[in-house]
Amino acid sequence: MKCKECQVENIEGALFCEECGARLEVKPDMAEIVSEGGGAPLVLQSSEGNTLAIPEKEEVMIGREDPISEVFPDVDLTSLGGLEKGVSRKHAIIHRVGVDYVVEDMGSTNGTYINKKRIQPHARQVIKPGDEIKFGKLSLSVKAA
Amino acid sequence: MTNELVVRCIMSKDIVPQSEAEQAIYALVDIKPKSRMGTGMMPANVSLVLDRSGSMEGEKLENMKEAAGYVVDHLSDTDFVSITIFDDQVESLIPSQVAQKRDEIKKMLASVIARGGTQIADGLKEGMNELQKGYSKDRINRLLLLTDGKTWDDEELCLRLAEEAGKNGIAITGMGIGDEWNEKLLLQLAEKSGGDSHWIQNPISILDAFKQEVEGVQSVAATNLKVMGRLDRGVKPVRVFSMVPMIANVSSKVLHDTTITADLGSLDGKKGQLLLIEMRFPAQKIGKYRVGQLEVSYDIPAQGISGHKIRVDMSITVSADIAATTKVNAEVMNLVEKVSAFKLQTRALSYAEAGNIAEATRKLEAAATVLLDLGEDELAATAEREILSLKKTGTLTTAGSKKLEYGTRKLTQGWTGAVKK
Repeated sequence: MKCKECQVENIEGALFCEECGARLEVKPDMAEIVSEGGGAPLVLQSSEGNTLAIPEKEEVMIGREDPISEVFPDVDLTSLGGLEKGVSRKHAIIHRVGVDYVVEDMGSTNGTYINKKRIQPHARQVIKPGDEIKFGKLSLSVKAA
Repeated sequence: MTNELVVRCIMSKDIVPQSEAEQAIYALVDIKPKSRMGTGMMPANVSLVLDRSGSMEGEKLENMKEAAGYVVDHLSDTDFVSITIFDDQVESLIPSQVAQKRDEIKKMLASVIARGGTQIADGLKEGMNELQKGYSKDRINRLLLLTDGKTWDDEELCLRLAEEAGKNGIAITGMGIGDEWNEKLLLQLAEKSGGDSHWIQNPISILDAFKQEVEGVQSVAATNLKVMGRLDRGVKPVRVFSMVPMIANVSSKVLHDTTITADLGSLDGKKGQLLLIEMRFPAQKIGKYRVGQLEVSYDIPAQGISGHKIRVDMSITVSADIAATTKVNAEVMNLVEKVSAFKLQTRALSYAEAGNIAEATRKLEAAATVLLDLGEDELAATAEREILSLKKTGTLTTAGSKKLEYGTRKLTQGWTGAVKK
């Protein structure tokens, strides 16, 4: 059984990864939610109601624009207070894997959180409608477009 | 014959999928007294071993005297007590005696002044000698050690003494005040003797720690608690963790081939005892199987009970029904997750000690994620701060590593069987 976070093989039946401690067993109710969300394009919405589209690309960089260092992320969180809220220039990537949207933190300073759980740098996690995703202290809701 | 204890054995899954290879399964063994027993049912034999080194001067020493006085006041007239004080010399302040001359004992305590360095082994040895004078297997034999500093060149001897204590049913509780003492040593003393350890952050908390210990001695519901597990053919035990008074990996002490033999000492009537057993279940066809049998034995000397046994079977079903095989018991899951946090923290600190900063950081990050998932935000924040300290200085802070060592070990404190969240 491969750990989804760190890719290390664990024995069948193990509940948590020996290497990184990530949960290996999927609760039955979580499995159902994943299949419901499949296929619909997702957007990110701020608490003020601003909607950010996620471009239709295999890899979408989330971060903060910095022309001096020539960093131009696909989704720029500057206007949502990204600087004050600790968003890194190259904070995270959203991968399209089949119908799924998969988030990967790029070693950001203040971390990426999904439903209040911090995800490990470079470990990947699926997001779905109803999730809360936080880049540093900037909180966004995941919604179906 | 009725049982005075209740033993529950809960499997992580009652139904597992059919597999070509062996798979991991977990069993939680929960042992509690059937009903609330009266306090102070078992006579006690308590030895206080107290650091009187120069650094204890002032608030620490005064609070220590008050706490020691509390112990003397709250033991019964037939309990044995002794007080040993040490710096780089040792003195038997109160030789082993029944706890009756309370005013005299407290007067002697009041006369103690702080001086000298720290040699814990001599104090431990003398404390154990005094304990032997009042020793009986029908008593709760406990040694309480209090220190604020690192011992000088005698750690190996301390560990040997703790091992000897454990073999004789003497549990050592090691308590450290402040930040400048060796938590590894005190935790190892606890592990080897089947005892406990506390980090006392402020001198005013010394009294609370001693109160807790007295309460623990007076709450003992059974002694000579043993768990023997015989596993059926093909089932292999891999790891065993005890959870009370703190999470400890007892695998090397209790695993022998396909049997589990755990000597758990006394059973705290309020906290009970929990064992988590990780096993490997072999490839099997569809059907119901016995995994093994557990036998819990205990004494209750006050009731004339000796070697009473309770047997519990562990079983599992192999099924093709995939939906049924995904159901995991929430209680077991929660405890396995806590053990996971403890394991990650232990490995992180080992890597840090060995100078492998990259691995230490990775393990601390993983521990922080697990701790957040458990709702332990403060401990997770401590892990994050230690990551920063590692990146900046290449070392952990003394307070931070203590907080992680004790915090993760005590994740099961206050366990009632209810899952947080």
